[in-house]
Amino acid sequence: MEIVVPGDMILDKPIHMENTFIEDNKTYAAVLGIFDSEKKVLIPLEGLWYPKHGELVVGIIIEERLNSYVVDLNAPYKGILVAKYVRDKLSVGDIIEATVKELDETKTVVLMRERKLYGGKIIDVKPSKVPRIIGRNNTMIKQLTEGTKSTIIVGMNGRIWIKGGDVALTTEAILRIQEEAHTSGLTDRIREMLEKSKKAE
Amino acid sequence: MNSQEKPKLIVDGKRLDGRGFDELRPIKIEAGVLKNADGSAYLEWGKNKIFAAVYGPREALPKHTADPEKAVIKCRYSMAPFSSLEEHGRSGPNRRAIEISKVTKEVFENVIMSENFPGTEINIFIEVVQSDGGTRAAGITAAAVALATSGIPMKDLPYAVSAGKIGDHIVIDLNKIEDNYSDADVPIAVSPRTGEILLLQMDGSLTKDEFKEVIAKVKKAGQIISKAQRDALKAPYERISNKYK
Amino acid sequence: MQSINSIKSTYIKELLNNGVRSGRGLFDYRNISVVRGIIPNAEGSAQVDLGSTKVLVGVKLDIDEPMPDKPNEGNIITSAELLPLASADFDTGPPSPEAIELARVVDRGIRAANVIDTASLFVEEGKVWSVFIDIYIMNYDGNLFDASTLASVAALTNTRMPKYEDGNVVREGKLEKLKVNNIVTSCTYAKVGKTIMLDPDGDEESVMDARLTIANDETYIRAMQKGLSGSFKEHEINDLIETSFEKSKDLRSIINKLNSD
Repeated sequence: MEIVVPGDMILDKPIHMENTFIEDNKTYAAVLGIFDSEKKVLIPLEGLWYPKHGELVVGIIIEERLNSYVVDLNAPYKGILVAKYVRDKLSVGDIIEATVKELDETKTVVLMRERKLYGGKIIDVKPSKVPRIIGRNNTMIKQLTEGTKSTIIVGMNGRIWIKGGDVALTTEAILRIQEEAHTSGLTDRIREMLEKSKKAE
Repeated sequence: MNSQEKPKLIVDGKRLDGRGFDELRPIKIEAGVLKNADGSAYLEWGKNKIFAAVYGPREALPKHTADPEKAVIKCRYSMAPFSSLEEHGRSGPNRRAIEISKVTKEVFENVIMSENFPGTEINIFIEVVQSDGGTRAAGITAAAVALATSGIPMKDLPYAVSAGKIGDHIVIDLNKIEDNYSDADVPIAVSPRTGEILLLQMDGSLTKDEFKEVIAKVKKAGQIISKAQRDALKAPYERISNKYK
Repeated sequence: MQSINSIKSTYIKELLNNGVRSGRGLFDYRNISVVRGIIPNAEGSAQVDLGSTKVLVGVKLDIDEPMPDKPNEGNIITSAELLPLASADFDTGPPSPEAIELARVVDRGIRAANVIDTASLFVEEGKVWSVFIDIYIMNYDGNLFDASTLASVAALTNTRMPKYEDGNVVREGKLEKLKVNNIVTSCTYAKVGKTIMLDPDGDEESVMDARLTIANDETYIRAMQKGLSGSFKEHEINDLIETSFEKSKDLRSIINKLNSD
């Protein structure tokens, strides 16, 4: 699998894919990434989060307005919760998980179905690494949860909430997955890391 | 200036530092060196040492600078007061730095897909910690790598280099002393995918044909510069992959 | 409004309030690396990496007029820039009060400890050397004071003295080294609730209530600076002075090792 840089031609025909652009009937990479020619997808190695309807996110309330709450999502755009649909009593500084409803005209991320998260720790990772942290069929996240006994909520925006269990180990494991996301054998290495830590207790 | 007063920049067919006319100084680039920035790169080009960093896209502030149609690109090129071989420089951007910041910004306004991020700003910082001629070109080359590591979508990875004329010879990559005494100095930034020119400045005397030669030599040297950028972007991934082979 | 950083750091704040620090002891430094001569164009230079905090210091000498009240002494001028590329919270523009405080505190330690003998910077009547120490913060992750003092002193220990000949400053050729008489280092502490810790990182600084920097050499305290709106009890300060004399031994040995290599 070859690594491509912005401006590299990846297909001789125009196919619409995220993180690419089309010019003169050819498709080009717009970001540093790996092109999977079978699945016809450009996997970004670094990268921004493009919010989609239905995605789960983790955010922090940063402002209370008359009819809404502004949410920091560690992203170029802020999130917004419409006050009349909010279930919990919220204040500035609260951590929430929520679901993306849509983007409004100013690209603010309209959120719904919020749930307040109490205590715990937040870490921010690159959004492009989130799929690896979750794993195919949730294999990686399951392994992490079992190995550390932490409750882990992974926002698609790259913000992760960890509570209980071995928080330090969970943090270390997640940061390592971020670092080695593009390599093979990672699931096994993380399993070894978690087992080794158990033995050390 | 009386050419008899100028130092001889070419001796026995070679430049003062021993390079051929078309030869670049050695370039070394490392991607992702600054942890807080959204994207970063460190570049050494001859004796030039430059850090480039990118923050954004993030909310454009102050609000009146925001553009509802696209991201606003902001750029700050700055030289450290200890960067030159001569006396201590003054702090704060001088007029030269402000002009370089502007033309650098215009290179990236061309390639960044800013329509994807209306209302935001993208900040590019170029800090020259040691200088030896050609810093604006080196800064652009480093900033392109920094942008690529930030994940901000771009249509190309621009590179830049300064070409010039010494006597009758068109030369590539002027160092400081050549920059001071050459007969023409031409910094150029190129979009390698399309071959289009994104930055062009010129000072001195050139004929039409000499200018054509400049462009041809710049594009040839550009292959080496592009490769250095590419290698820097791939290196962290290859390093980690190799560890686990 | 609480900053995002401090909200994210609520977790460690609770741990710290209970005296628990993740990954190291309350009085442990993070990994320190010091490299001198990183900017050959400058007369002296050094880069310090303290955890993820990265500081570059350049030293340049120029011929200048002496200060009117010290006609036979040279000048030391220390500046610091919190470069915008070092943190999303640093802005462009003139130096902030934080940058000015950083420069002045580092300067105080160096001056009070007589790291350089300013009388030796005298050239002739009306002409002295000015030593410009420029602190460039490249990445912020807490404790800029200790990293900057260490980088400044390291740079000074490897600084060339230009020559002044026939009215010209000569920076090339065989040059003497700037004479360094003394080594000073600093230890910076953060107070979170009742817990005090050495070498706070960025997260810890976002939740600290007070900060204390103590610069010392082998024998004397040379400079102190308390920062932020929290307070220290007298016995806490006395304890931290003791700790600084102890911890500074490691910092001084880092500098001394550079000199002997």
